[in-house]
Amino acid sequence: MTQNESVIERPSVTAPGPWSFPEARRAGLPNGLGVVSYDIPGQYVISLRLAVPMPLDLEPREREGIATIMARTLDEGTPRHTAEEFAELLERKGIALGAGVIESGLIIDVDVPKRHLSDAFDLLSEAVQEAAFPAKEVSRHIKIRLAEIEHERALPGQRAALEFIATYFDPAERASRPSAGTRSTISAIRPEDLAAFHAANVKPSGATMIVSGDLSDLDVVSEVERALGSWSGKTLELTEPLEAARAGDATRIVFLDRPDSVQTEFYIGSPGPDHRVEGGWAAYQVLGFVVGGSPNARIDAVLREDKGFTYGIRSGFRPRRQGGVFLTSGSVRADSTVEALGLLLEILDTARDGFTETETQTGVDFIGKTAPGRYATADTVADEAAGLSLEGLTTEFTTESLRALEDVDAEVLTKAYGRYVSGEWTVIIVGDATLYAEGVRALGRGEVEVLPA
Amino acid sequence: MPLDYQIAERALANGLHVILSEDHSVPIVTVNLWVNVGSRHEADGHTGFAHLFEHLMFQGSRNVASGEHFSALMGAGGRLNATTWFDRTNYFETVPRGAMDLALWMEADRHGHLLDAVNQENLDNQRDVVKEEKRQSYDNVPYGNALIDIYAAIFPKGHPYHHATIGSMEDLDAASVQDVHDFFRRYYGPNNTVLTLVGDLTPDEGFDAAERYFGQLPATAAASRAPVDALGPLPEPIRDEHFEDVPSDRLHVAFRLPVDDTPEFFACSLAMDIIGGLATSRLYQRLVRREQIANGVSAHAMGLVDGVSLGFIGIDVADGCSADGVEAAACEELVRFAAEGPTEIEMESAVAQSERGWLSSLASQEERADHICHHATLQGDSGYINTFLDRLGELTAAEVQRAAARWLKPESRVVVAYLKQKRDDQ
Repeated sequence: MTQNESVIERPSVTAPGPWSFPEARRAGLPNGLGVVSYDIPGQYVISLRLAVPMPLDLEPREREGIATIMARTLDEGTPRHTAEEFAELLERKGIALGAGVIESGLIIDVDVPKRHLSDAFDLLSEAVQEAAFPAKEVSRHIKIRLAEIEHERALPGQRAALEFIATYFDPAERASRPSAGTRSTISAIRPEDLAAFHAANVKPSGATMIVSGDLSDLDVVSEVERALGSWSGKTLELTEPLEAARAGDATRIVFLDRPDSVQTEFYIGSPGPDHRVEGGWAAYQVLGFVVGGSPNARIDAVLREDKGFTYGIRSGFRPRRQGGVFLTSGSVRADSTVEALGLLLEILDTARDGFTETETQTGVDFIGKTAPGRYATADTVADEAAGLSLEGLTTEFTTESLRALEDVDAEVLTKAYGRYVSGEWTVIIVGDATLYAEGVRALGRGEVEVLPA
Repeated sequence: MPLDYQIAERALANGLHVILSEDHSVPIVTVNLWVNVGSRHEADGHTGFAHLFEHLMFQGSRNVASGEHFSALMGAGGRLNATTWFDRTNYFETVPRGAMDLALWMEADRHGHLLDAVNQENLDNQRDVVKEEKRQSYDNVPYGNALIDIYAAIFPKGHPYHHATIGSMEDLDAASVQDVHDFFRRYYGPNNTVLTLVGDLTPDEGFDAAERYFGQLPATAAASRAPVDALGPLPEPIRDEHFEDVPSDRLHVAFRLPVDDTPEFFACSLAMDIIGGLATSRLYQRLVRREQIANGVSAHAMGLVDGVSLGFIGIDVADGCSADGVEAAACEELVRFAAEGPTEIEMESAVAQSERGWLSSLASQEERADHICHHATLQGDSGYINTFLDRLGELTAAEVQRAAARWLKPESRVVVAYLKQKRDDQ
C-alpha cells in the first residue's frame, strides 16, 4: 500500500427498499378469455402473451409435435394475407410475434413498441382466429423441424436431455417423448390435421391474454375486446392432470457413445415437486441455488473452483403440472468423466444430510432480494404470468412464494430436499464410452448401458 | 421518437469517468464498469489472456477472499458477472440499493488491488475453467469454431481481430503469474475505465459514492494506443471449407464493415437486416420461403472500433440441396441489392425492428447501463442511448444502397463452409 492511500472500511449492507411484484388487473370477456394487465411505467415495449391451455397429451400419438408445428404456422398465412404479406405487416410495425408450446399449453408472444399496440392486437387476432395453414408453408415447417431434430441430436446437451426423458419416464407417458415430435410423427402431419387440431383446441374459453408494460392512457380491456371479443368457442373440458409416471427401470446409467468428445455431458435427475407442493415452493427455489446455482454452490465449489473440471454445472427443480423433476446438468473435461461423476453424485447424495444456516440464508437472500430486478421488465412479468396461468395459477403465487422465503431455514431446506431426493438417480452421459464407460461402471453406481449417440 | 433517459457525468481527478442515470422504478442499482482492454490488445503468443484475466478478477483482491465477490454480492441479492470481448472487458452487478456501497467497495478493491491476491493456484484453476469454457462453447459442438474461422480469414495475421477472444489452448497454457501482473499494471486503472450507475439513486449520491471508493486509486493505466489503420473491403473472396460430421451444411458469409458509430456502419447494419436479418429479408424470402433450399438465414452486423467491423450471414442449407447453389443465389441477391437499393417498405421494416430491439434492450436497467458504458468507453459518447434511433432514422435508402455497394459485394466475401461431405462424394 502506498502511503497516501487510506483504508476504506468495508461498507455494510442496509435493508432493501420496499418492493412488490407488479399489481395485476384482471377482467374477463364474455367469450371466456381472461385479461390480465400489468402497468409498469417506463416499459415502452409492450409484451403480450396469449396463453391457451392445451396439454400435450391431447396430441394424437401418431402425430406428436402437431401442437408445435401449429404454433409455428399460426402466422404463415390467413384467408386475408399470404405468409409473406403477414410477415411484412408485422415487420413494418416493429412487431415480434412468436409462438411455442410447453407441456401445459400454447403461448403466443408478441412484443411491440407502444404506439403500434393496436396493430399488434389486430395481427395477433388474425393469426389466432384465421390461421389457414397453407400446404406450402406447412411442408416447409415440417422440413425445418426434421432438420432441427438432426441438430438436436448433434448437440451433446440436447442429446442428453432427449435420452433423459426417454429413460426417466414410463414409455406410455407423453412426457417420455420429445415435445416437438419425432421424425415419424412430424412426417405424418398434414395441413388438414393442423386445421382440425387448431379448430378443436385454440379457443378463448380458459385462455388468458396478458398485457404488460407502460399502459398509461390505454384502455387495455377495450383493446382486447376489440381484437379478440368475437373469438368464440369452448375448449374440451380439461381433466385434472396426473403425474407422469417414472419408468420402472429409471434408476440407471445410460452412456451415449460420442467418440472423440473433448467433454462429457451429464444429465442427472430424480423426482421433484410441482408448484403446489405441500410446505411451499420457496424452499425448492432456494435448494436449486444452494446446490447448483452459482460458482459457490455445492457443486461448482468442488467441480469448478476446486477441481477446474467444468465451466459450470447447474441444478434446479423443474415443476410440471403434477409432480416434477430435480435436474442437474453440465459438461466436464473428458478425462475427468469418472471422477467428476463420482463427486457429483456424492454431492447430490450427501446434501440429504442437511444444509447450513449460512448457505440457507444466502440462498433465501439471493432468491428474495433479486426479485425486484428479475421482474423489472415488461417481458419477464408477462412470461411469469403466462407460464403460471397454464397451471391455473396467478402471479399471486409468485408474491406468496417470495413472502414464504422468510419461513425457510436450514431445517425446512433439509426436509424439503429429503422429501424428494432419495438417491435413485437417472443418469445420462454423453461422451466417449470407449474410454470412460468401464470407469463409470467401476463407480458402482448402478447398471451402465452403452448406446450410440 | 426522442428518448430522454437522464444522463449525468463527471470525471474524477484520477481519470475515472463516472456516469449516472437515475431511475427510481425499482429499488435496485446496476453497477457497470468497462475497462478499455480486450483481446484486440493481446500480443502474439498471449491470445485468450484478457479473458483469463477477467476470471482472475473473481479470485480475490487485497481485502476480498477468493470467490467472495460472487458469494457476498449474491447473498446480498446481487446478480453479477463479467464478459470479455475484442474491444473491452466489462464487470457488472445489479444489487439492492442498500448493497451498492458494498458492490463499489469490492469493485474498487479488485480494480485497484488485484495483484495482492493473484497466485499460481488461482491462475491454474481458472485456466482450467476457461479451457472448459472453450471446449463447451466451441470445441464440443457442431460449427462451434465458425466465428473463429471467420476472424482468421477476414482479418490479416497480426490484426487485432485476427484471433478470437477465447484464444488458443497453447497460449492459455503459457500464461504466467508475471503476465497477470504486467497486464494489470498496463491496462487496469481508473484512467482506462468507465463506471456507470443506473437505478435508484440521485446523480450526487452516485458521484459521492464513486469518489469515496474509487477516488483514492492512482491513475496507473498506460495511455491507450490509437486505433489501428482502417481496412477496406476484401479485394477478392476467401474460402475456408471444413468437412465434418455436422447435422447439415452451413455457410457463413462474412464481410468487413466500416468502424462502429459511423453513418456508414449504421447503413451497413440496416442493409444486413434487409438482406438477411428480417423475417422478410431478401435471402429469407428467396432461399427459405420460395425456393426452400435453406432452412434458416440470419445476419448480424458486429460493430468494432479498431479500423473495421464485421458483418456475417449464416445460412443453413436444406437437406439434399447444394451448398454451392445456395451460395450462388445469395451472391445474386447481394448484387441485386447493391444495384437496386432497399424499397421503402424494407427501410420502414428495418428501422421499425431496430427500434423495438433497441427499446427492449433499454427496458432493462442492466442493459441500459451496459450500453451507456459501451459508447462512453469506445466512442466517448455518454448520450448514445438517447440519440441512436434518431441517427438510424435519418439514413436514406440511397445511403444504405451506397454502403452495401461498397462493403457487401460478393467479391469481398469470406465464406466459411461446414459441409457434411466433400463434393466428390456427393
